[in-house]
Amino acid sequence: MSRAEGRGVGLPAGPLGGRGERLDARAKVCGQTRYVADLSLPGMLHAALATAPVASARVVALDVSPARALPGVRAVLTAADIPGENSAGVIFPDQPVLVTDRVRMVGDRLAVIAADRPEAAWAAARAVTAELAELPGVFDPVAALAEGALPLHPGGNLLRTFVVRRGRIEAQRRRAAVVVEAEYRVGGQEHAYLEPQGCLAIPEGRQRLTVITSCQCPFYVQSAVARVLGLPLAAVRVEQAPTGGGFGGKEDYPSEPAACAALLAWHTGRPVRLIYPRELDMQLSTKRHAVVVRHRWGADRDGRLCFAEVDTVMDAGAYAGLSTVVAERANVSAIGPYHVPAVDVRTRVAYTNNLFGGAFRGFGAPQVAWAHEATMDRLARRFDLDPVEFRRRNLLDDRRRVTCTGQRLRPPVLAREVLDLATRAAGWPGPEAAGDGEHGPYRHSLGVAIILYGCNLHHGGQKLDRSSAVVILQTDGSVIVRVGLTEMGQGNLTAARIIAAQALGVRTDVVQVWQPDTTTVADSGPTVASRGAHASGMAILDAARRLRRRLDPIAAELLGCAVGDVCLGGGYAWAAARPGDRLPISRLAAELAARRIEGIATGWYRSRARRFDPATGRGAPYEFYSVACHVARVRVDAELGLVKVLAVTAAHDVGRVIHRDALEGQIEGGVVQGMGWGIAEELKLDRGRLANPNFTDYLIPTAADTPEVHIELLESDGTAGPFGAKGIGEPSFIPTAAAVRNAVVRALGVEIDRLPLSPPTILDALGPLHPWAHVLHGSSP
Amino acid sequence: MGEQVSVTLRLNGEERTFRVPAGRRLLDLLREDAGLTGTKEGCGAGECGACMVLLDDRPATSCLVLAASCDGHAVVTVEGLGAGRGDLHPFQEALVRAGGVQCGFCTPGVAVTGAAILAVGGAARAGAARLLSGNLCRCTGYIKIFTALEEAEGERHEPR
Repeated sequence: MSRAEGRGVGLPAGPLGGRGERLDARAKVCGQTRYVADLSLPGMLHAALATAPVASARVVALDVSPARALPGVRAVLTAADIPGENSAGVIFPDQPVLVTDRVRMVGDRLAVIAADRPEAAWAAARAVTAELAELPGVFDPVAALAEGALPLHPGGNLLRTFVVRRGRIEAQRRRAAVVVEAEYRVGGQEHAYLEPQGCLAIPEGRQRLTVITSCQCPFYVQSAVARVLGLPLAAVRVEQAPTGGGFGGKEDYPSEPAACAALLAWHTGRPVRLIYPRELDMQLSTKRHAVVVRHRWGADRDGRLCFAEVDTVMDAGAYAGLSTVVAERANVSAIGPYHVPAVDVRTRVAYTNNLFGGAFRGFGAPQVAWAHEATMDRLARRFDLDPVEFRRRNLLDDRRRVTCTGQRLRPPVLAREVLDLATRAAGWPGPEAAGDGEHGPYRHSLGVAIILYGCNLHHGGQKLDRSSAVVILQTDGSVIVRVGLTEMGQGNLTAARIIAAQALGVRTDVVQVWQPDTTTVADSGPTVASRGAHASGMAILDAARRLRRRLDPIAAELLGCAVGDVCLGGGYAWAAARPGDRLPISRLAAELAARRIEGIATGWYRSRARRFDPATGRGAPYEFYSVACHVARVRVDAELGLVKVLAVTAAHDVGRVIHRDALEGQIEGGVVQGMGWGIAEELKLDRGRLANPNFTDYLIPTAADTPEVHIELLESDGTAGPFGAKGIGEPSFIPTAAAVRNAVVRALGVEIDRLPLSPPTILDALGPLHPWAHVLHGSSP
Repeated sequence: MGEQVSVTLRLNGEERTFRVPAGRRLLDLLREDAGLTGTKEGCGAGECGACMVLLDDRPATSCLVLAASCDGHAVVTVEGLGAGRGDLHPFQEALVRAGGVQCGFCTPGVAVTGAAILAVGGAARAGAARLLSGNLCRCTGYIKIFTALEEAEGERHEPR
């Protein structure tokens, strides 16, 4: 129980759950926060990349001499100049930093340039001449798996297959009274973090170097740079620069620009800064995977699910990157928070010559959740049941709590509570779609979506699920905290500060948490999977416990009480029996220092080991779960196919609130980003080239598009995070687009199986039901 | 580098003269020549608003403005919004209080636009959404930015 955790390390009362000022807000709001593009050093050079303009080709010849001859150019390097391994892949060694013989995607790097000025560097990049013999490309993941498709890599285009097979599917299929089938085509998404990718590499001889980079995972960058330069990890120091948004786009990708800048710094002996122009950033960096999901789901005559078959193909793009790991999450998330006796899920990952798929908030789950929620509404319609009632009949709960992988959830399972909370607050069932839709162009409706989110890393990544913290009590009672998980806007520094203050009983304003740096803490894995506050918080609690083993005896001595009776809170220590007799913690800190007792403590956390069989997909892929339900209220202009999301009600099973503003900020931001993906954001690909690499043609939501967001939080005991908290970054995103889709479908009365729900998609789905169909299609009304 | 021109600006209330290449963007003058890196470059194409400054009291995307065309004009950047010496503009204070800051990269531009909205008498929520639509933010969903604007607007009308 989470309160027990609280008692173990301090007091129940404290900053937890409050709305105090964020640690980083004041500097950011007055422009003092130094992002990497704001840093410059004497003698610093500017880097640029020469990249391939086509998606599939053989490299016949590469001539860098015209680039070298330009004024201000200090270095033009190719693959031959790499001292270590020419390998950028985070899991599979299938991606070179600089290509030598084969181009597999638009944006593959041919050469890297350093020059005195950025303009000179990019001019030199354009002057690199490559003779490329174009090869046929594969641009559809399903086609990539067909016989005869040109293989991108020696092992063929099928990168991996994941499955979940449980229950007697044949028998359950016979039991089903209603079976629905559908094929969903779910598009990808650009992260559109406001700060483009960037890094600064600072060499020290050819012995070691520092890389300052905008990233989520400094330890990934460290290992990539060490590999490419052929250095030990200890010779590469990675400091996370304040990071202007990540959303997964700065998980694995920053290793690539960092390797390029480091290579140039290594060769020139000068600091080298590489900042991506927006268009290049959008073309080169990873994207949310486009997927095709096929469903066959059945339910018995009482409207209870019997079986679910899901067949998903994910477009990995030209290189594996994190695609297999993304597919792992998509695979086990394909069924949702429902009790289904028999499941047969297959998830295949295919190479194509498209953009390169990677981590993006939700990590494969949003696509399959969009599909499972579409199918649930389809089934409800077949039964003529309210979609909320149909879900209620099938949700997991404390009695039926075995997930699709056979994992028995620890109670409380709050799916029904979260569904009820969201739908009640949203005024479900809302306006009758047909009512005002008969005449004018506007149709109004509500739509619902609910998801089960596996917290933290999947079983396949559990070796990375550990984290490190250092807590240093200063002699004046203030506290320095270092953690290995990063701040990218989500509020991790603030969460860490609150957790440390709560655990040590000090005021939040005396705690400073500094940006991660690989020389201050041990490898803490990536800041992904909504694990930031969880993993850093648990390590901080461990460090605080160790520090208090030294602090509490001193307090007991000064207070004249037993060690077990020492209480810390609000900057003071007191004996449990005499709360009025308080001693400032600053006094304790001074005493600790005067006695020459170590005021620094390290903390460590690792998730619980669990069993999961990848061959069958059975077992416990995640340690624990959360549930999220969003209800969207939309207005659809049936003539123009325009969707306006008016409001979203978001109910979340959060365990415990650490910082209320940051939590709400995650939900509001996740809702709006999810809405953008659902209705407007579309990667327009032309033979692997992104045809809309800018914010004029790739539309992310503006202030004018923002819906009202109502937040309902359900706190509970019994979860494993710091003070019971569960991650919120991803669950805040996942259900939104599905809820919007279901609202639009209810409003229009036609199924829509393609995302985004842009006007062409909607008009296409309406077909003869379009208000002006008789004019458009020449048929009679 | 091409022809050099002399540009005199009233920059954050102080008269400053710069010699810059004729093609220099106002954004680069601010960030590189004046050392004011609070103004950010998010897209370089006038789409995102991270480089918003006040040019003669009106919001302008400094990535699309030639420095030379600002000769004799007044420019206020995020660093100059407060009354000086580290003071924050009421909207900046409200952004901090309302939790309207996340990654912070759009924040300087948002602060500048918000200050301009308040200077002309503020706006109701619907109007504010439209006026802020030139500043993209990918983190907050804009909601706490609206709250901050409303709070700062409310304060202006409260008697001191």
